[in-house]
Amino acid sequence: MTETRTDATLTRTGRRGSRGPVNRDEVLLEIKDLRVTFQRRGGPATAAVDGVSFSVKPGEIVGVVGESGSGKSVTSMAVMGLLPQRGSKVTGEVLYRGENLLTMGQRQLADLRGSELAMVFQDPMSSLNPVIPVGLQVTEVLRRHQDISREDARVEAEDLLRRCGIPDPRRRLSEYPHQLSGGMRQRALIAIALACKPALLICDEPTTALDVTIQAQVLELLKELVNDLGTAMVMITHDLGVVAGLCDSVNVMYAGRIVEAAGRRELFAHPRHRYTEGLLNSIPRLDAPRGEPLQPIPGTPRDTIAWSKACAFAPRCLHADDECVVGDLPLVQLGRVNHPVRCVHPAPEEEPHG
Amino acid sequence: MTALDPAQSARPASLSALMGDGMSDEQGTSLWRGAFERLSRNPAAIIGTLIVLAFVLVAIFAPLLAPYEPAKSQWIDQVTPSDVPGPSPGHPLGLDPFGSDLLTQLIYGARQSLIIGVVSTAIGLLGGALLGGVAGAFGGRVDTFVMRLVDIMLSIPSLLLAVSVAAVMGPRPGAIMIAIAAAQVPVFARLLRGSMLAQRGQDYVLASFSLGLRRRTVVMSHVVPNSLGPVIVQATLTLATAIIEVAALSYLGLGASDPAIAEWGRMLVKAQDRLQTDPQLMLLPGLCIAVTALGFTLFGEALREALDPKSRR
Amino acid sequence: MAEHDRSAALDSAAGPVRSLLSVRGLEVHFPIKQGLVFDRTVGHVRAVDGVDLEIPQGQTYGLVGESGCGKSTLGRAVLRLEEPTAGEVIFDGEDIAKLKAEPLRKMRRRMQMVFQDPLASLNPRQSVQSLLIEPLRVHGLAVADRAQFGADSSASHLAKVVSMLELVGLPRAALAKYPHEFSGGQRQRIGIARAMILNPDLVIADEPVSALDVSVQAQVINLLERLQDLLGLTYIVIAHDLAVVRHISDTIGVMYLGRLVEEAPSDALYERPLHPYTIALMSAIPIPDPVVEDRRERILLKGDLPSPANPPSGCRFHTRCPFRQPTRCDTDEPALRELTQVAPGRRVACHYAEEILSGEVRVRDADLLIEPVR
Repeated sequence: MTETRTDATLTRTGRRGSRGPVNRDEVLLEIKDLRVTFQRRGGPATAAVDGVSFSVKPGEIVGVVGESGSGKSVTSMAVMGLLPQRGSKVTGEVLYRGENLLTMGQRQLADLRGSELAMVFQDPMSSLNPVIPVGLQVTEVLRRHQDISREDARVEAEDLLRRCGIPDPRRRLSEYPHQLSGGMRQRALIAIALACKPALLICDEPTTALDVTIQAQVLELLKELVNDLGTAMVMITHDLGVVAGLCDSVNVMYAGRIVEAAGRRELFAHPRHRYTEGLLNSIPRLDAPRGEPLQPIPGTPRDTIAWSKACAFAPRCLHADDECVVGDLPLVQLGRVNHPVRCVHPAPEEEPHG
Repeated sequence: MTALDPAQSARPASLSALMGDGMSDEQGTSLWRGAFERLSRNPAAIIGTLIVLAFVLVAIFAPLLAPYEPAKSQWIDQVTPSDVPGPSPGHPLGLDPFGSDLLTQLIYGARQSLIIGVVSTAIGLLGGALLGGVAGAFGGRVDTFVMRLVDIMLSIPSLLLAVSVAAVMGPRPGAIMIAIAAAQVPVFARLLRGSMLAQRGQDYVLASFSLGLRRRTVVMSHVVPNSLGPVIVQATLTLATAIIEVAALSYLGLGASDPAIAEWGRMLVKAQDRLQTDPQLMLLPGLCIAVTALGFTLFGEALREALDPKSRR
Repeated sequence: MAEHDRSAALDSAAGPVRSLLSVRGLEVHFPIKQGLVFDRTVGHVRAVDGVDLEIPQGQTYGLVGESGCGKSTLGRAVLRLEEPTAGEVIFDGEDIAKLKAEPLRKMRRRMQMVFQDPLASLNPRQSVQSLLIEPLRVHGLAVADRAQFGADSSASHLAKVVSMLELVGLPRAALAKYPHEFSGGQRQRIGIARAMILNPDLVIADEPVSALDVSVQAQVINLLERLQDLLGLTYIVIAHDLAVVRHISDTIGVMYLGRLVEEAPSDALYERPLHPYTIALMSAIPIPDPVVEDRRERILLKGDLPSPANPPSGCRFHTRCPFRQPTRCDTDEPALRELTQVAPGRRVACHYAEEILSGEVRVRDADLLIEPVR
């Protein structure tokens, strides 16, 4: 976590030499008022992401938490320019080092995507090319971004796989994706994402398909990366446990909008939005006393109202009343510093959680 | 969401008004009905249906629609070796090389294609479904035996099979039907068996067993209905190829030898030496074959899309 | 916490609880087949490889373990949805593993299953009404119902279906709908209603909430608990999520590569895991509280699960065990034994359980231990 450790690692591995020292105060990625609407043939337009803004600095892990339909994955796809052109409309700004990725040419974006931006998906099998050996997929990326020989690339790929926790990397290099286990594939995918030494890594549920012990390995690997290389990371997940252990700051999304944002300790100690509060109360905790019934959030994520008419969470909220029927509730600071909330009746500030 | 839901009873009226009152009381949408609704919204399906409908109606009402009796060669004297009369007030499309009205021949040709296409596909479907169903329902050795049999059938080229059947039975419509059907049996058998095997691996089949349902009930009322989708699609698409194959076999001279029966494929044969002078003689039946096949294909593809669970939300 | 212990003590004081299910030496091996024309068996996947357990009436037994450990196969073998290769499954005095087809089919009324993916486990072409009436029709009418409704079985069935729907929290309007028209949580309620409608004694829930949205999981967990109280059910809950299993279970069995490696009352297991695998598993589970997360010591496991077709010699966990000792671990297979001296009522399959408990045996490789960072 400290600068000295980072520098030592950087010098040792000789990475990132060309890009100069990492300035950890610079804003690397800034998302401003991102909106994504989908229009299906004949159907009405639906806003999947509805005015999302947040920023990421180097060496920082920003969490985006939400359930199905919250728009968290669509956000990441929009940032990477991976949404289908037909049927989707993206507005707002995604500034990467001050340049708007949304207005950038396809070619320029593709260049950037391979070199500075990388993404790790939930399903490693569909993101790896099944007919090309894993090693070749790693060396391909390495050689695209560096002017090195095939042999050098192979050595570096082997090193990369080893550092990603893949045992016997020399043998693995010549194997095909289907010969690897799920956890191994996910680590291979991370190795490919890291091959271009990205400045920004977007992880979309990278560990959801993995077993917990493998998840712990992968999360530890990602943590090291951020600490050692100063990579900025956006972590998209539904798992509050993962967020609690990994992220510096957290954005909670519901029905396409951020409903609460705070530093991780702040968020878990003082959840203000009723959705965040409800989530924390509804999940069984390994360390909680047993025998107490859980307090579920009623309804399903499908039971929403358009934000333009009222709070989208109101139909499931135990504290909802007529005042919640307000169009376009703002995300505002309520008392606590750096902790904006989009709620008419937020949880009282002093109420201790837990 | 539900009656027991604490949120709903406490929910303010203003919110409830915005939400609607949860689950509607109307009848649910079954998969078949959902597929039908998707089908009726798909332009390709509508065009396909219109073509197929037109074809079927023409075939059924041929005697009413056709201006003359078929294959009478009433105007044979007007046909010369170098010229077949073209369109005239009495004959909108002109005559055929045998001196019959071309439009009448085309209309009656639809009849022939429909009957042979439908009957042969029905035989193929029945035989294939029986074999595939047995293999899929029993599995194990029965499955292995039936599928090896099907493999043997598949290894014989369909045209060769058709030619041999026709050679044995002689050139008549029945021979064509059986020849075409024989080529389809293994296709349907493999399809239904594969589909049933895939369904048998599903959790709901396991759930049915765990509820104590009898094996027969599980297969007949759960596995089979869920396996039929791809088979129905295939049957529709097969109708298109069957119509083309009828023409192809007639073209090869394996169809009905009775010249009194109008048939598109044979019309092609008769027209080929006049391609230079009277191209319409070949183009028009060819167009009929192509458009009809297209109609069935469009409909079949749309049906596949409508039944495919992946396109379901 | 203390109160819970006291109630457990009271239970045992009331006399020995009747065991509803006892599994002895259960094995399920799947043949690995190869060959172009004729299939040849080239080996066996030992999905379940010698499991013993007892489940008292009215209790919940939780089975945890990672994918491939055999927990689902074990659950299915208990219901004989998989054929056991060896062993006994004694349910209420009868060996399920030896029942003939027709008695087994009748017995199925008393043992039901809730599946992970509610959409896949409901026939997409059946309406909810048809889904729920089918099991009633198959098993005929209970005598009590016949007295109430006379010979009109369909009216009685419908009444039962409606009251079951109400019990799981679905409106009557759901009857005419099809599975794809519901949300995930509602579908799971339908799956639960179908399992409960036959008044079973034992219900096996295989990952009942893992396919659901986080905010919906608690609803289903609470529903399962409420139904247990109401109907006096015995549960086996199979899940990879130890937090869920701990919440709902009285006793937890931890599986690794087809065998039980540890079994303990839920509270005791969390307080003090004894088997190295349980220790590592527990430390890997993220807790939604940064304060706890930062203070926790973690043990990382190296590598992946070995193939169940070719399990390691000796202790199956020795290839990944952070506590592995130079002797015995790779040669002798440890038995699942009760630690009568140090931890009565608990069973562990580790040669060095006592030494790990006392702290004599520690994690060997410093790299595997992640100290608290912040």
